Amino acid sequence: MKLLEDRAKAWLRARGLPVPAGEAAKTPEEAAQRAAALGGKVAVKALVAAGRRGKAGAVRLAASPAEAADAARAILGLEVAGQRVTRVYVESAVEIAAELYLSFGFGRLAPQVVACRQGGVDIETVSANDPASLVCEDIDPLRGLSPWQAAALWDRAGIPSAQLPALAALTARLYEAFRAADALMLELNPIAVGKDGTLSLVGTMMEADGNALFRHADWQDLSFDEAGPGGRPLNERERAVIAADRRFSGGAIRYTEVPGDIALFVSGGGAGLLQHDLVLAAGGRPANHSDLSPASVDKPAALFDAIFANPQAKGMLVGMNYLQLLPCTLVAEALLLSLGRSKIDTRRFPIVMRVFGPKEDEARKMVAAVPGLHYMPPGASLEQAVREIVARVKAAS
Amino acid sequence: MSILIGAETRVVVQGATGAQARFDIRYCLEYGTRIVAGVTPGRGGESVEGVPVFNTVAAAVAATGANASAVYVPARGVKDAVFEAVDAGIRVLACFAENVPRHDAAAAVAAARGAGARMAGFNTNGLISPGRCKLGGIGGDRAKEIYAAGRIGVCSRSGGMSAEICSALSRAGLGASTCVSMGGDPIVGMRMVELLALFEADPETDACVIFGEPGGAHEIEVAEALRAGRLKKPLVALVAGQFQENYPAGVSFGHFAAVIKGETDSASAKRRLLAAAGARVAASLEEIPGLLRRS
Repeated sequence: MKLLEDRAKAWLRARGLPVPAGEAAKTPEEAAQRAAALGGKVAVKALVAAGRRGKAGAVRLAASPAEAADAARAILGLEVAGQRVTRVYVESAVEIAAELYLSFGFGRLAPQVVACRQGGVDIETVSANDPASLVCEDIDPLRGLSPWQAAALWDRAGIPSAQLPALAALTARLYEAFRAADALMLELNPIAVGKDGTLSLVGTMMEADGNALFRHADWQDLSFDEAGPGGRPLNERERAVIAADRRFSGGAIRYTEVPGDIALFVSGGGAGLLQHDLVLAAGGRPANHSDLSPASVDKPAALFDAIFANPQAKGMLVGMNYLQLLPCTLVAEALLLSLGRSKIDTRRFPIVMRVFGPKEDEARKMVAAVPGLHYMPPGASLEQAVREIVARVKAAS
Repeated sequence: MSILIGAETRVVVQGATGAQARFDIRYCLEYGTRIVAGVTPGRGGESVEGVPVFNTVAAAVAATGANASAVYVPARGVKDAVFEAVDAGIRVLACFAENVPRHDAAAAVAAARGAGARMAGFNTNGLISPGRCKLGGIGGDRAKEIYAAGRIGVCSRSGGMSAEICSALSRAGLGASTCVSMGGDPIVGMRMVELLALFEADPETDACVIFGEPGGAHEIEVAEALRAGRLKKPLVALVAGQFQENYPAGVSFGHFAAVIKGETDSASAKRRLLAAAGARVAASLEEIPGLLRRS
């Protein structure tokens, strides 16, 4: 969940960090007004979740409000990294004597900081051409990043001594902003160094943690910026599943459509991955991927709703590993609830269920009357259930 | 012997009065796990399935000698629950919450590792040493049928797949010394390679099975340890999720940890790395017993 530049910078500005003054604009006229209010030279940037916008012609400098309006006119409507630009960000241009790179993210066990004395460039290129100039370190999440550690880090990165105290203090405060935002990633590229040594945060990208939105009421709308495979926008069924995941408590549901005709109601993360592989190996084409972890009946029912609403789906595998944390009746109950409110005719929509575990006998009885539903016999393997649904969907179409 | 848990394990359940905890406690007690205490702040003095509930882990440990914790506290409060358990002297934890905020997960894991505690999760369904102890919901009501006792160490990134693997072992007349669902979240308390090192040192484990997924570096670290000779016991690897390579990178299809970022952490790249390092790579569950028996 990427935050666009205006929101990421607002977060940093509110914490007293040195972000240039700036504001978003929807039209060339608004851009001119912002530029007039800021005074002096401004940068006009496309507000899209993408780096390297300069290369795409989506960042322009303007010396006057009229130029800012022209810049906005040139940028609005552009397609940058697959996204249509509907707003620009107008900010005071900063005198830049040198540029630095800094980012925070996560390593295998702990938060991680990466610093580099070459900023403003593509960090992957630096990493490939001059790996020694990148300095990377784990941060102890219980202690945070102290200014002395940050000074040692930049010292190793080759920053002159005189610049270290200010840069180290800024870096420690940025880590704190990263942590307070519950961010998964915060990249400052570049940090501009002025002729007098003033530091300003010119380039900012931030990715929020969808699992921590309960601490960030302002960012509740963020997940809808997410895209499906290939960067396509989420469709209404995928959005509905995200909304249901938020609305109902406990567990989690996920749903992503892909081109194919066998709907997968699969769970347990790994077992779902394996079954998707197995469907392909058996010559079938999944219509979606999904995941479910123990939840009240509402979440699995919402997942079934999405599957039944997908016009591509011609049949469904309800393929779960041996259930250990929830009763089979919960899956059966959700299925019946969703079938009752959908228009699916299961006589023409084969369903194969492999749901074994607690209360299995009861679950079998609950769905026995659903026409076209085949409940795999006890002990059947995941592989057998996959072969069954592939054969049944082929026969039905 | 087994790793992490055994007949001597005395379990405290944090968040014992919640629905999932009650569901699991019943099956754990039926299995023979010594669940000696529950903890829910404000509910001290009550009981769950006959297990006494305390207000704090420290009180539970003092009264019952608990030495392992099953942590049912949900994602929002689980960081503090791990701090509390570690401070009370607990050194083995299973943390079931999933989708834990990343900063909280890192802090909890740092606290556990700093104290020398061994933690499965986040997003684990527990661990089991067949016939001795099960910590958490693993195995549900069929733990005895699914998880036969034996000499294979099992380590899985997916709780569900730990059951499928062990049931394939059971059907083939094999069994597990210990089976660990290490957790599906991006940050977990123990790396897969650390768990395999425990199996390497366990005289009752002859060989290991791992279940891997795309994304992350667990399997890559295992391949490095195999190549370096730090792991010598035979290792069978099942790595699922090759289908993701049909779709553009960066899309999560399952566990949040299973997001491929590049070529080296795709399922097929991991299979190649593991095979080149000497692991026996399985294409399906059905192949696992045969690969274990191959000498």
